[in-house]
Amino acid sequence: MVPIVEAVNVTKTYMLGKVPVEALRGVNLKVETGDFVSILGPSGSGKSTMLNLIGALDKPTAGTLLIDGVDISKLNDNQLADLRRRIGFVFQFFNLIPRLTARDNVELSMSISNIGRAQRRKRAEELLETVGLKDRINHKPAELSGGQQQRVAIARALANNPRFLLLDEPTGNIDSKTASEVIGLIKKLNVENNVSIIMVTHDQHLAREAKSTVQMFDGQIISEVVNNQ
Amino acid sequence: MKTIDIFGYSFSAIKLRKLRAALTTLGVIIGITAIVALLSITQGLQATITNQLQQGLSTNSLIVTAGSSGILGGAGGGGVGGGLGGGGAASSNSGFKLYVNYTSEIDALSPDIETSFAVISRSGYIQTDNLNRTVTIYGVDFNQYSQAYSTTFIAASGTIPTNPDENDTVVGTRVNQPGQNGTIYFSAGDDINILWINATTLPPVNETYTPHVSAVLQKVGGFGIGGPSDTGVYIPINKAESFFGTDECDMIIVKLKSTDNATITNVSKAITDHFSNQVSVVSSTAVLSLLTSVFSTIQLFLGGIAAISLLVAGIGIMNIMIVSLIERTREIGILKALGMKSRTVLTIFLGESVIIGLIGAIVGIILGWILANVTARVLGSGVFGGGGGFRITPLLTPEVLLGALAFGVGVSVIFALYPAWRASKLKPVEALRYE
Repeated sequence: MVPIVEAVNVTKTYMLGKVPVEALRGVNLKVETGDFVSILGPSGSGKSTMLNLIGALDKPTAGTLLIDGVDISKLNDNQLADLRRRIGFVFQFFNLIPRLTARDNVELSMSISNIGRAQRRKRAEELLETVGLKDRINHKPAELSGGQQQRVAIARALANNPRFLLLDEPTGNIDSKTASEVIGLIKKLNVENNVSIIMVTHDQHLAREAKSTVQMFDGQIISEVVNNQ
Repeated sequence: MKTIDIFGYSFSAIKLRKLRAALTTLGVIIGITAIVALLSITQGLQATITNQLQQGLSTNSLIVTAGSSGILGGAGGGGVGGGLGGGGAASSNSGFKLYVNYTSEIDALSPDIETSFAVISRSGYIQTDNLNRTVTIYGVDFNQYSQAYSTTFIAASGTIPTNPDENDTVVGTRVNQPGQNGTIYFSAGDDINILWINATTLPPVNETYTPHVSAVLQKVGGFGIGGPSDTGVYIPINKAESFFGTDECDMIIVKLKSTDNATITNVSKAITDHFSNQVSVVSSTAVLSLLTSVFSTIQLFLGGIAAISLLVAGIGIMNIMIVSLIERTREIGILKALGMKSRTVLTIFLGESVIIGLIGAIVGIILGWILANVTARVLGSGVFGGGGGFRITPLLTPEVLLGALAFGVGVSVIFALYPAWRASKLKPVEALRYE
């Protein structure tokens, strides 16, 4: 089966004013279907840049990055948008649309993918039930706790049956009790539903919840370890 | 993303900031209201005046006046039709004058001419025991005048004599009933004094006689442009000649056998040639065409002024949408991260402007129509003399309706293009990072 992510000697250079900054320096990485990989690193290690590239939000400066077998360097804006529909984003700050209800937020990613109203409504309700928010479907984000908002975000990320979930500090903005519930949900999705997961974090404890951890430092991968579960 | 979902999303964004959206829409409403009100009143006015003219100037008639200048009134005051005439006999700068007996010369000019008749008019007075009123006195052939103005030279009371003697007279409805309020100073069958001041002698002499009112005309209404007037006093042409002491006439009305343009052109040319270009020949077609052109210019001018207010509204829309774009930068980043294409983001923002433009235009059209009717009512009851019968009926043509709708939406969309384009071009990485 095609790896969901395959990075070969990927570099990314930003211009900070007139000064070039090398955020990634020759990264090689392969993530297979069904994996649960955490990318761990301190601030400035390049993990956010890696997240943006894997999420098809940005293109590498050099090297090859295949997402679901597609070289993203060769895609135009529209093709990148199409590719992003096959990736389930979960952000640190949830990034829900405040004026929409939980159900409408989950429906939004499906309506972007041209799914009909009845079908997306049914699926949104099923997904919210899966993440334990059946009784909160008509609540707006401001009426939900941080943990509940993150569950809505996970339900939204799953809506289009993505090739993998891409999590950015998924517990970074919620309390520890809720965090363990959210991570429990993520692990359950990986184990029981075979959802591939890539998680970016600076939290070593959280990183160890994944099946394997990729350690980044100064724009490079310095280690790759399999975690004892 | 389906169109209905895009509009649903745009609408939800507008709903979130109701006051801001309402104020933005208000700009469009004011602009469209002004455009619709001004244009529908102008078009109503045009229709009213055109209708008056068509009554006064039958399409198979030509009006010949002395002098070669202008359509509405040649030199010396000989105007088109009865209503605008009356300032004294027409005479051109060259001294050329029209005489009553020129009708026989004109009749002989073309087989397309059915008949022609002269009109003499003077300003004068009518007097009864308790009324002394300025009027315009017309000397006309009652039979031919009745035929030429068969829809307006009609008796409301009494009878217009077919073979009048010199003491017969016919008056307009505002002569015996000036206020049109039920106070009638005299009726058909009564005698009245007609007076004019003959200034051709020194010192001027008051000429007067006392005819018998044979008929009071039905209400003609309006300005009396061309043809019978509510303030006209009509006496037989031969009496006018003796009373005014002249056989010089103000105009000769020529009835044609056909109304086609070629006939009008040929006969007009034959008449002007015959009188060595010293007369003006006016057809209703020419007057109407001139009026249409004048009104088009007025409409363009007024519409242009109103359009400026809509442009101001457009700038307001642009301003608000740029603010909205900045506020929603992160939202745009989220949408793009979820796979929304740039053109869909563009459509969402344009969708918001379409909704604002559409609501603004619809409300503006309704308010404009109400304003036009209120204004027309005020103008009709006051400025033009109340009971005088000059009523403007505002006209909302499909062109104005659809034009206002398209203009409202168009301006909104055009001014939203730049903010929408900027929104669509946001890089998802940068937009998501925006605080």
